[in-house]
This record gives sequence, C-alpha cells and structure tokens, in this order.
Amino acid sequence: MKFFGLLLAVCGWLLPVAGLTWTSSLGVRFVLCLIGIGLCLTGILGFLNRAYMKEAIWKK
Amino acid sequence: MRRKKLNALISGVILMTFLLCGVPAWGQTPSQPTTSTQATPAPSLTTALPVKEANPPSADQMAKGDPSGSMTGTVNDVTVSNPKVGLTLADTLNQVGQNKVAINFVWTLITGFLVMFMQAGFAAVETGLCRAKNANHTMMMNFMVYGFGLFAYWVCGFALQMGGAAGVSSLGGAAPLSGEFALHIAGKSWGLFGTHGFFLTQGGTYDVAVMVLFLFEMVFMDTAATIVTGGCAERWKFAAFAVSSVFLGAITYPLFANWAWGGGWLYALGSNYGLGSGYADFAGSGVVHAVGGLSALACAIIVGPRIGKYNRDGSSNAIPGHDITMVLIGCFILAFGWFGFNPGSTLGASGALRISTIAVDTMLAGATGSFGAVFYMWVRYGKPDASMGGNGLLAGLVAITAPSGFVNTISAAIIGLIAGVLVCLSVEFIDRIARIDDPVGAISVHGTCGLWGVISVGLFADGTGVGSVKGLFYGEPSQLIAQLIGVVTLLGCIFTLTFVANLVIDYFIGQRVSPESELEGLDIPEMGAVGYPEFVLKMQGAGAAA
Repeated sequence: MKFFGLLLAVCGWLLPVAGLTWTSSLGVRFVLCLIGIGLCLTGILGFLNRAYMKEAIWKK
Repeated sequence: MRRKKLNALISGVILMTFLLCGVPAWGQTPSQPTTSTQATPAPSLTTALPVKEANPPSADQMAKGDPSGSMTGTVNDVTVSNPKVGLTLADTLNQVGQNKVAINFVWTLITGFLVMFMQAGFAAVETGLCRAKNANHTMMMNFMVYGFGLFAYWVCGFALQMGGAAGVSSLGGAAPLSGEFALHIAGKSWGLFGTHGFFLTQGGTYDVAVMVLFLFEMVFMDTAATIVTGGCAERWKFAAFAVSSVFLGAITYPLFANWAWGGGWLYALGSNYGLGSGYADFAGSGVVHAVGGLSALACAIIVGPRIGKYNRDGSSNAIPGHDITMVLIGCFILAFGWFGFNPGSTLGASGALRISTIAVDTMLAGATGSFGAVFYMWVRYGKPDASMGGNGLLAGLVAITAPSGFVNTISAAIIGLIAGVLVCLSVEFIDRIARIDDPVGAISVHGTCGLWGVISVGLFADGTGVGSVKGLFYGEPSQLIAQLIGVVTLLGCIFTLTFVANLVIDYFIGQRVSPESELEGLDIPEMGAVGYPEFVLKMQGAGAAA
C-alpha cells in the first residue's frame, strides 16, 4: 500500500510532464494536469497515509 | 528696394532665431537635440571633465559643517581613477554603474536580514502552539535548523540551486554561476541542477555578487526547513530532525528551486513549450512554502500523531498550545519579515520600483487572510479563534508570496481572503479526515496555501508586473498550465523525494521518540533541560494526560 501510494504520486507527476511532449493542445495539457494532481493526492492521502493509519499509535 | 531687402534680412534673422531657440523651448521636446549640441563632438571618455562648473564645495566650506546636507554628496565624492588627469566621463559612468549595483546589494542584503529574522517568528509561533513541557525542544529545533540548513546549503545546496543562474543583471551579473547540468529531450533542454558554487569557491564563485545571492537564497531555504519542525513538533527525535534538515537544505529544496529559479526546466516551460512565461513563482509560495509544507506532510505521516491526539474511534482531541501571546507576537514578526521576503525578491531597488506594489500586495493579503480565517471561525464556532487568526495572516502571506510581483491590489486582497478560509478548511481536513497530526498547522498554512499561491499566479497575474506574466483572467490560459505543472511536480516529485529520504532516516536513526519521553515531555529526554524550570507545569486535558 505504501509503495503503491508513492508510485501513484510519481505517476501523477510524470503524466502531465510527459504530456508536454505528446501534445501542444492546451485543453489536453490542462486535463492531464488535473488527472496528475488527482493521482498524486490519491496516492499520498488515499493510499500512503491510509497505510500508516492502519498501524497508528491510537489504534493500539 | 533696399528697404525690402532690409525687411527680408530682418525677417530672416528673426525666423532663424525663432527656429534655433524658440521652437524647441515651445514644443518641450527634450529628445530633439539643439543644433549647437549636434555640432559639438562628444567628449572622450578619458578627457578630464570641467569639474569647476559643478561648483563643488571647498574644503573650507566643508570644514564649517553641512547642516542642510546640500554640500555632502557632490562631484567631490566621485572616485577618480587617475588624479593627474582628474575626473573623466569614464569615471562618472563607472560610478553610475557602481552606485546602481551598490543600491541593489544593500537592498538585497537588508531584505535578506529581514527574512533571516523570520526564524525568530517561526520559533515563537511553533513554541507557543506546543505544550510547555516541549518548549525547549521546539525552540531548539527552530534555532538549530538555521545552522544545519546553512551548513548544508553552503556545502552543496547553493551550487545545486543557483550554480547555473548567471545573468542576475541587478547584482552585476554573477557571471561565475554558469554551470547547469541539463538533459536534452526531444530537442529541448531540461535543466536539472547547477554545478558551480560548491563551498562558495568552486567554479570561480568567490565573488561579491555570488555572496549577496547566497545570503538571500540561504535565508529562503531556511524558511522552508523550519516549516517542517512545526508539523512534527512534540514527538520528533532531535537527531532525526538534524539529518532531515540537512537533507532538505542540501538536496530537496535546491532541486526544486533550481527548476523554478535557477534556470531549470520549470522556468523554461515558456520558452520550450509556449506555456506563458514558464513556471512563475515570484518569491516562493511553491519553492519555499509548498516545499516546506509538503516536507512537513511527509515527515508527519512517518512520525505519526502524538499520543492523546486521537481516540480509539478516530475522533480527535484539541491539544492547545501553552502561550497564545507568543504565537501572535511570532505572527507579527513573520509579517514584518515578509517585507523582506517579497519585495526583496526583486534582487534590487534600482530600476525595480515595483517593490512598492509588491509591499502593499503583501500587507493586504496578510490582512485579508486573517479576516477570512477569523470570519470563518466566528461563523462556524461562534468565536474569533486567536490561533487561527494568526494562521490566517500567515496563510494570506504565504499565498501572496508567488503572485506578489505580478498582481494588483484587488487580486492580492482576493488571494489573501481565499487563503484565510482555505487554511481553516485544510486544518479541519488534515486533522479530522486525513488524521494527520500537525500541531501548528504547518501543512495547511504552508503546503495548502503555498499551492494555492502558485495556482493564483496562473489566474490573477495582470501582465504589468515582473516579467510581464499574464494569467487566465487577463487572457493567457497557458500560464495556468505552467503553474499546474509546478503544483504536480511539488506533489509527485518533491513530496516523494522527501518521503523516501525520511524513510531512510527512520530506518537508521528512528524518527519518533519513545512513548515514555513523549509523555514526560521532550525537554529533559531530548535536550537535558526544561524550558521553564521555575514553573510547575499543570497537567490537564487529553494532551497533558498523554
């Protein structure tokens, strides 16, 4: 889960950056950026943080 | 006949006189040189100038004192390179250049000193928001981050960030900073890090302009580093904090700062891919605050919440700080330092009169930020919460940091107001939904509002400011794309890098103190002395019971 969360965050970064070379359309680039930000936040808060919460000190 | 000729002659003389003297004076067109000026050849650069015509005060006059100030600072004070020849035009021109750069040096250094003083503000805010039993530990983290960060930045951080940033014209060029490592992908250059300036000597960087740049950039880096201590306060092992701060000062911060400010690939998004003016972050909502805030997020996730912060059902307990007066005084110190942070980022005052707008934008956004936060808390909880008022002020200042060089005052007020409300929403989300313990709200103030500041450039930049950056509301949608790529880089790359580095630190050193130390308070177990030795600390509430 932790690794997957980090991987998702990195993919979220690479997607719009790589998209710079794929297309010159502003609309497509904008959508890629939004998808990238969504992936990053899902990776960090949805997977990585949730994995840490499972072993949180207040659950013990 | 003779009379006609005389009349014609007189008319001609009057006309010529009129043309030579009257028309230029009437038309008020100073750009048109007079005939006499055109006829006179330009003096040689090395010819002595007629200094006496400037009426410099004599030694006797000066000896009587100059109460009005009219005799001090005259041609007598211009440096003459060859006393035998006297003052030449070359001397005068050199003095003009020297004066311009000197003004910019002084401006940049003084604003850098203001930013350095922000460390005191951060120390006061963070310590005040923590419990008394951790006062020494929290204060010492804020104190020592200055030294750890400075050392790392001197060794390699500055070189990685600014090693290829030559061409700072306001400071005389900083020409030795001419090494940038770049990859060439699809015919475009992607600058990744600088290669000149290690130890401030390598690559010919023993240079006055480089020193000014180092001082100014160093205090910015230290601001980012000190943000992390707030997010992990009251449970962070001092040794882990030390190593983490060195890593941030040496690697994480300089990398992103190079991409944004050192001529790296984000900066070049405009020239390479036609995205507005490239990633624009005037004074560092992204480079400084979002890097610090996201590093705080990474470390806070690894370190975990304080004992007593959350109940078994996941509900959170408020753990109030021990000194709200210290918090608000710290906020004021920070607001004062921000006048160095934003206006100083012009790296000069001569030829950069936009500093007035930048300063007003800064104070406005801070004010509306505190309005927004206080209003939100008042409406939602019935009281104008003091600590959130302080955080609202900081949120507004953080948000305006990136756009301060590009927006007008109305936009600044809106940006600050939104940040003030946003910081309250973010604190609630981080605390109650994400269940990440952030004792001072560093993630929300610097992370969330830093990202908002970056985005706001792409919306509100009006094209009249530094670099003519123009945002979506002023007809340049591509600038917003450049800003969003900056945001996604911070989230996906910088966060991940910080997280992995701190995971390694956790493996070798351990990030979190023992539960016994945490319950006792970190002052004795970690620092060997309590912050308030003459006070009996009263234990009450969930936080103290913890």
